[in-house]
Amino acid sequence: MSVIYVGVGEYAVSKTPGDTIKTMALGSCVGVIFLMPKIRAVGLLHVALPDSSINHKRASEKPGMFADTGIPAIIKQIQKMGNNGKIIMKLAGGAAIMDPNNTFNIGKRNILAVRKILWQYKLGAQTEDLGDSISRTVSIEVNTGKVYLSSPGRGEWQL
Amino acid sequence: MAVITTNLQDEALTETIANRVSNIPLLSHVASQLLAILGGSDHSMQDVVKIVETDISLTAQVLRVANSAAFYRGQDVTTVSNAILNLGEKMVTGVALGSCASRVFNSPLEGYESPSGELWNHSLRTAIASREIAAVTAVSVSTDIAFTAGLLHDIGKSIISEFLIDTADEMLSKCDNGLHDDFLAAEKEQIGTDHAMIGYKLACHWNLPEPISAVILNHHHPNDAEEEYKELVYIVHIGDILAMMGGTGTGIDTLFYKIDERYEEYISMQSDSIPQILLTVQEEFERTKTAVFSE
Ligand SMILES: [Fe+2]
Ligand SMILES: [Fe+2]
Repeated sequence: MSVIYVGVGEYAVSKTPGDTIKTMALGSCVGVIFLMPKIRAVGLLHVALPDSSINHKRASEKPGMFADTGIPAIIKQIQKMGNNGKIIMKLAGGAAIMDPNNTFNIGKRNILAVRKILWQYKLGAQTEDLGDSISRTVSIEVNTGKVYLSSPGRGEWQL
Repeated sequence: MAVITTNLQDEALTETIANRVSNIPLLSHVASQLLAILGGSDHSMQDVVKIVETDISLTAQVLRVANSAAFYRGQDVTTVSNAILNLGEKMVTGVALGSCASRVFNSPLEGYESPSGELWNHSLRTAIASREIAAVTAVSVSTDIAFTAGLLHDIGKSIISEFLIDTADEMLSKCDNGLHDDFLAAEKEQIGTDHAMIGYKLACHWNLPEPISAVILNHHHPNDAEEEYKELVYIVHIGDILAMMGGTGTGIDTLFYKIDERYEEYISMQSDSIPQILLTVQEEFERTKTAVFSE
């Protein structure tokens, strides 16, 4: 029974009962959450940027950094676990500074890129907690498949 | 005559907070000397070497960081000048500040619901982002001063934090209901002052160079800065925002600030270069964080 921490640009999957997968302070990054109830497994990817074309070398070293390389990488891992059932998707993060022209809204660009890539796998999010100017922390329990979000000063809530 | 609306209690609180500033220990001689020469544009590396070598523990720490896994370049570094060549001057200032202002940087910000270490992480990330912006855009500001100003921009939080304890619910619900323009305004309403103003007072107490004090005072409202410092202030304004976007803020206030679009008049930064800059900042941050504070 342990907590698996997922850093920026990393991903993890687990079906070990008692495990929790956690990623801290998403900011404009997006947490892409995978629940596989049939094999009682969960997965989490911490995407920082929409598109790997800005640095292919980095993308091969750390595919989770980008939406277009991270999602295929974690899905491959999920297939290796032998998932033969449905995948339930949830999304969190993609926050932004208050920015009327959206110049700095990487959060929004991340969300759009994640949705687009998921769509290619015929996946769509069942629930989402996205945008606004708050930074979110995500925890997923393997035992229950429950997903919790938290943010400083706002306590914890379920997604 | 102006109408006096502040009541006595508020005034007393504001005064108590301002008094805290004078109880903060002064910066070590070495750190203030380093800041002073890096604040000016005209100095040689030898000047930096000389200052560092006057302080044994700083010398040891600089050598340790230069020989750490993240900065090691295949050969042991045994002299301060080689260490500075390896690390860059701004990292040396970072090491100096981190060790002698550790009470400011490493205390938990309870009022912001932020654990110890977060202010340092946020400051370091802002410093790296500011340095990166100064490096990749056509500005006249040196990367060294951008880094140092980024490192110091939020020092006021370490002082006002305790006065904000148990106010998170109230402040956040007002923020969420659109009653405040930004978190700075929320602080101002709650305690009669804010982290920029108190940081500025600490900067005066510490005798920091003027451009750096200007950054501390104006980093959320850069247009209020004096014209000659605006370029630097806008750089740190954006550096701070990039740090918060990367998830490294200081708790309840993270991201609840406005961007001042007039940065475009001072920094030529294409919006499609932002992901690239964020990526570099992320990598540099991870590298530096462990090098300075592991072991
Ligand atoms: Fe600030
Ligand atoms: Fe800040």
